[in-house]
Amino acid sequence: MPSAAEIPLPCPASRAPAIQGAPRDQEIPSQSSEYLTHLVRPHIDSFNFFMDNLQTAVNLIDARTVSDARGNRLRFWFSDVTVSRPQPAERDQVGFQDQRRWLFPAECRARGTSYRGRLQGTISFSVNDGPIQTISRNLGGLPVMLRSNRCNLERMTPRELVDRHEDADEMGGVFIVNGLEKLLRQIIVPRRNHVLAITRPSFHKRGPSYSNFGAQIRSVRPDQSAHTITVHYLTHGDFTVRFSFLKREYILPAYLVIKCLVDITDQEIFDTITRRSTNNTFLSDRVESMIRSGKRFAVYTREQALAFLGSKFRVVMRADDHLTNAQVGSKLLADILFVHLDTPREKFHLLVFMIQKLVSLVAGDTSPDNPDSLNNHEVLMPGHLLMMFLKEKLAEQLSNYLAQIAQDQRRAGRGHAPDFSNGDYFNALMGRVPSDIGRKVEYLLSTGNLVSHTGLDLQQVSGYAIVAERLNYMRYISHFRSIHRGAFFAELRTTSVRRLLPESWGFLCPVHTPDGAPCGLLNHMTHSCRVVSVKGDVTGLPELLNSLGMSPNQSPASVPPSYLTVFLDGKVIGYCPEEVAASIAGDLRVYKSKGHPATPESLEVAFIPALECGPFPGLYLFSTPARFMRPVRHLGTNTVELIGSLEQVFMNIACVNSDISPGLTTHLELEPTNMLSVVANFTPFSDFNQSPRNMYQCQMAKQSMGTPIHAFPYRADNKLYRLMFPQSPIVRPRLAEQYGFDNYPNGTNAVIAVISYTGYDMEDAMILNKMAFERGFQQGYIYQTLRLDLVKDHHSEHPLRFGVVNPRQAGNTIDTDGLPHVGTLLNSGAPLYCYVDTVTGRQFVERYKNLDTAFVESVRLVAAESGDSGGLTQAVIVLRVPRTPLIGDKFSSRHGQKGVCSRIYPTADMPFTEYGMTPDIIINPNAFPSRMTIGMLIETMAAKSGALHGAFTDATPFRFSEKHRAVDFFAEQLKAAGFNYYGNEPVYSGHSGQEMRVDIFFGIVYYQRLRHMVNDKFQVRTTGPVDPLTQQPVKGRKRAGGIRFGEMERDSLLGHGVSFTLLDRLMNCSDYSLSHVCVKCGSMLSPTTVPAPTAVGSGPVTLATAARSLTCRNCDTGDHIELLTMPYVFRYLTNELLAMNIKLTLTVQ
Amino acid sequence: MSDDPRYICAECGHECSLSQSNKIQCTECGYRVLYKKRTKNIIQFEAR
Repeated sequence: MPSAAEIPLPCPASRAPAIQGAPRDQEIPSQSSEYLTHLVRPHIDSFNFFMDNLQTAVNLIDARTVSDARGNRLRFWFSDVTVSRPQPAERDQVGFQDQRRWLFPAECRARGTSYRGRLQGTISFSVNDGPIQTISRNLGGLPVMLRSNRCNLERMTPRELVDRHEDADEMGGVFIVNGLEKLLRQIIVPRRNHVLAITRPSFHKRGPSYSNFGAQIRSVRPDQSAHTITVHYLTHGDFTVRFSFLKREYILPAYLVIKCLVDITDQEIFDTITRRSTNNTFLSDRVESMIRSGKRFAVYTREQALAFLGSKFRVVMRADDHLTNAQVGSKLLADILFVHLDTPREKFHLLVFMIQKLVSLVAGDTSPDNPDSLNNHEVLMPGHLLMMFLKEKLAEQLSNYLAQIAQDQRRAGRGHAPDFSNGDYFNALMGRVPSDIGRKVEYLLSTGNLVSHTGLDLQQVSGYAIVAERLNYMRYISHFRSIHRGAFFAELRTTSVRRLLPESWGFLCPVHTPDGAPCGLLNHMTHSCRVVSVKGDVTGLPELLNSLGMSPNQSPASVPPSYLTVFLDGKVIGYCPEEVAASIAGDLRVYKSKGHPATPESLEVAFIPALECGPFPGLYLFSTPARFMRPVRHLGTNTVELIGSLEQVFMNIACVNSDISPGLTTHLELEPTNMLSVVANFTPFSDFNQSPRNMYQCQMAKQSMGTPIHAFPYRADNKLYRLMFPQSPIVRPRLAEQYGFDNYPNGTNAVIAVISYTGYDMEDAMILNKMAFERGFQQGYIYQTLRLDLVKDHHSEHPLRFGVVNPRQAGNTIDTDGLPHVGTLLNSGAPLYCYVDTVTGRQFVERYKNLDTAFVESVRLVAAESGDSGGLTQAVIVLRVPRTPLIGDKFSSRHGQKGVCSRIYPTADMPFTEYGMTPDIIINPNAFPSRMTIGMLIETMAAKSGALHGAFTDATPFRFSEKHRAVDFFAEQLKAAGFNYYGNEPVYSGHSGQEMRVDIFFGIVYYQRLRHMVNDKFQVRTTGPVDPLTQQPVKGRKRAGGIRFGEMERDSLLGHGVSFTLLDRLMNCSDYSLSHVCVKCGSMLSPTTVPAPTAVGSGPVTLATAARSLTCRNCDTGDHIELLTMPYVFRYLTNELLAMNIKLTLTVQ
Repeated sequence: MSDDPRYICAECGHECSLSQSNKIQCTECGYRVLYKKRTKNIIQFEAR
C-alpha cells in the first residue's frame, strides 16, 4: 500500500474567480492556526492512523478456504486494500482530462454528494496451494475525512483553502456525506488492556453460585477491534472466564483455559497464582478449589484441553473440516482471549493476574475500580471505529464469496459444479457478488447506525454520527470536543454515571455539559486535553525497566508475594518491590522529559501504591492510543509532561504556585484555566459567577447568531444564521485571541443601564433603544437553502426541466430559465420556480410559501451525481431572510443572563447620562441578586473602562484575589477616566428630564442574539384549517393550527367562572356546529329531511319546502325538532356509539 | 423580460448561457456547479 507521502498531492489551486460576497485577499494568514488544528487533532490523527494502518487490519483478516467436488482447495484472502484521494467521476471528466484531477469538498457540498476516495481491494487466491493469483476489485467510494492524509486539502495553506472555496482556517475533521458535514462522535469506552476489578449485582444472575465480583479487561488488537473478557468469581471458590462471540456469550472454567494456554502441572498453577505465599490462605484456598473443580474435565495435557475446547466450539466457530479439534481450540483462544497479547504464555500470565486481583477484591484487601470514572476510560476514536468497521466488512465480503460458492455448489448439477482448478470461475464469481463496501461506511456516517454481525464489542448500535451544525463557530468547534458516555447510559435510570468525578479533572470540562436529558453524559474535553491517536514506540522500554531494577517475567512462581506486577500495555513484563516501582515511575518521568527514545511522549506511567483498602497496586505503563492526556509542568526537570487519566489520580499536582508543598508536589498545572473547555473559557470572569450560570452560558454561546462561516457564497447549508454587524468583544479572555475567535464573533458590545425604567423590563425582559435598532444593532439574516431536484421531488413519468412556457403566468420573479432572478425580493406566495413537463409542455409554478419575506441570495445549477440525464433538473436556491430584532426575540449576555426584547423604545424617552448617552439595552436590576452573576457586573465595568481607555481588557478567570480585587482594579481605571468609582452614573429620566434619585449602574456588556426568534415561533389563529373527521382545529404551527386548550386549562377557566371565554374557546373557535334534535325522543340522529308530504309530485323541492319537511323518524312528526348548537365531535360520537348499538338520548329543557 | 440568463462557472469563472436540455457543466473546465448571474433588472425593495 502506498504511504500518504507517495500519493500525489493536488497541484496548487488556480486562482478562482471572485464571486460576489467572497472573502477578500487581505489578512489571510500564511499558516493554519495551531490552536484550532489542535482541537480537531483526535479526529484527523485517528483517521490518518486508519489510513496508514489499513494494511495491518487487512492482514488480520483470515483467509477463507473451500473445497470443490473434485477435491480442489481454493484459498482466498485480501492481500491489499488502498484508499485514494477523492477524484471527480470519470463521466464528468470526458473531454476535460487535464483540467480537473481532484475533487474538492466545496463541490460535494454544493452538489449534495459525498466526498469519497476510491476503495480498491486486491484479492489473492491460490488453488491447492499453487501459485498465488491476484484480482483487483473496486470496493466503492470510502468517505474521506477533510484535511486527513487522503483529503485533497491536506497540506493547503489558508490562502489555497480560500481558493478552494473553504474558510481560511478550515480545520477539517468532518466527512461530507450527501452534502452534509458529518462527524463521528467520540464515545467513552473502557480503558483498553487494563484489568478492572468490579462488583456488579447483575453478575449474580449469571448462574447458581455466581457472586457479584468480576475482573474485566477490554483487550484491543492493533487494528483496534476489541474483545472484552470477564473473569467471574464463584462463591464456592471457582473462577470462570466469560466472553462473547458473534453476539452470544460463552463461559469457560478458568482451569480449562489455563490448561489450554500452557502445558503446566497443577502444582505450577497453584504456585504461580499464590506465588508460594504461606499466609494468604484466602487465595490459596480458592486456587485449590479451582484446581479441584477442574478435575472433572479430565484433561491433563494442553493438547487434550485444546481438543476438548475445540470439540465444543467446532460448530460455533464454523471451523473448516480439515482442522483438528485442537487446532479449532487454539484458534478460538487466539481469536478471542486477550487479543492484545501474542503468545499463550503471556495470556496465561494475564489470567493469573486477573485471578489475583479478583481474589484480592473478594477478600476485601483492595477496593473495586469504578467503571464510571475517567481513569478507567478511553475514547472510541472516529478513525478507530471506521477501521474495525471496514475490517469487518472486508471479512464479510470474503464470507459472501464463500456463501456464493456454496450456493453454486448446491444449485449446480453434478456436471456443472464449480471447478476451482479453472481460474476463471473465481474471477467470474467476484463479478456476481456485490462489492460496494464504501456504501456501507457511508451509511454508517449518514445515519449513525452501526450494522454489524459481531457487534464490534460496542454497547450501542446507533448514534455514532452527528451533523456538525454550523450554527455558529463555537457550536461547530464544540462538536469536535464533545465526548459521549454512550447511548446505553442515557436510558439508565440511575444518575451515578452522570456524576462529575474528581478523576476527570483537567480532562473533561466541569462547566460545559448540557442540562436536561444528556446532562453529564455529553461532556466536552478541556481545551488542553488531547487524545493519543498513535501508539508510542516502547520497544526499548522493557530493557530500560530491567536496568532500573525490575525483575523480568521469567519464573513468576518464584516471585515474592509482596512484589508488584509491572504491566506494559496490558502485558506482564516483570515484577518489582513497591519502593522500586515508585522509583521507576519517578525515573521514567525524568526520561520522558529528556526525550529518551524508550519513553515516548505519550507514555503513561501509572504507579498505584499499595494502600489500605485502595485499588490493586502495581505499575501500569501505557503507550496505547485513544487515551486522554494533558500537559502539566514537571517540577523536577521544569519541562512540560503529558499525563494520562490513570496516573493523574496518584500524582501530586499543584494548581497554582502557592499550592506547592515541597517534597510532595511533583507537578504544576500550566494554567488554572486548563480545566475548562474552549467554550467555557470564553465566559469572561467566569470565576465570579455562580457555577450554573456558566453552564447556561456554554449552552447559549452555542445557540447565538454570529459568524458561522466566511465562505457564505459557496455554502449550501440548510440554514445559516448570520449577525450582520458583529463586533469583537472589548472584554475577552486571552485565549479568545489565541483561538482567533475575532474571526468569528457572535455578538455586539452594547451599552447597558441596569435600571427599572418603564415596567417593560420586568421578568427578564429588556428594552431596546430604537435608535440603536435603526442603525443595525443585532440585525441578522438567515440563509436558507432550498435544494430542488425535479427527478427526486416529483415522481413524474415524463422528464421535467426548469423552464417557462408562459411567462405571464409565471410572474415577474421568475427568469426565463424557470428559476428566480438573483436579488429579487420574494413575498409570501410569490412564484419561486417553474418547471415544464417536456412531453406535454405543461408548466408548473411552485410558490414561496414562508410567511417571511426573503431575498434570492444565489441560484446555482448543479449536476446530479448519478446518471446524467442532462438538462436543468437540479438547482440550489439560497434565500436570505432578514431578521431585524423584534419584540419577543431572545438576547443574552455572556453570563447566562438571557432576556426577551419587550419594547423597542424611542431614544428620546430613554434615560440619559450626564454625557447625553442613552443605553442600547435596559435590563432590570432584579436580574442580579438571586443569580449572583457578579462576572457580568465586572464585565460591565471592565468594558466601560476598556472603551474609555481604548484597549481590550483581559477577562481570563482566576486572575484576581481578595488582595488584588477585580472591582478595585477596574474601578481605579474608571476613576482615572473621570468616571464614578463603581461604574454608577447620574442618569436623567427620558420622559421628564429630571435627574434620578439614585445613580444608575451604566456600562458596556457584550450581548449575543440567540437564534430563538418570534418569527419562527409565533402561533396564532382564530379560525383556520380543521380536522376533517372531528371538525376540530388541527395542531402544528406549520399548518396554521391551534395550541391545545386542554382539560387543565378548561378547569382554570371553570374556576374563574368565565363562561363566555369558555364557550368561545371550546365551541365557537373549535368545532361549533348546528344540529337538529327531536326534543320529544331526545335523539339527534332521527331528525331527517324527507320530502314534504304536500310537495310530493307537485313541483321541485325548494330550500324553503325542504326545511319544513324535517321529520323525526322515531316519533314520525317534525313538531318537536329544534336546532341546537353542538360540538361537532359530539355528533360524531353519537354516530360512533350508534354503530355499537348504543343509543344516546338528549334531555332538552 | 430580460435577456437569456447567464451562468458563471464556480471553478474557472467562465460565463455561459444554457438551454433547458443542456448538460449542467462548464464548457471550459467541466465543473458541474454553475452560478446564475445577478439580474440586471431594476429591483426596488423599499422606499421608506
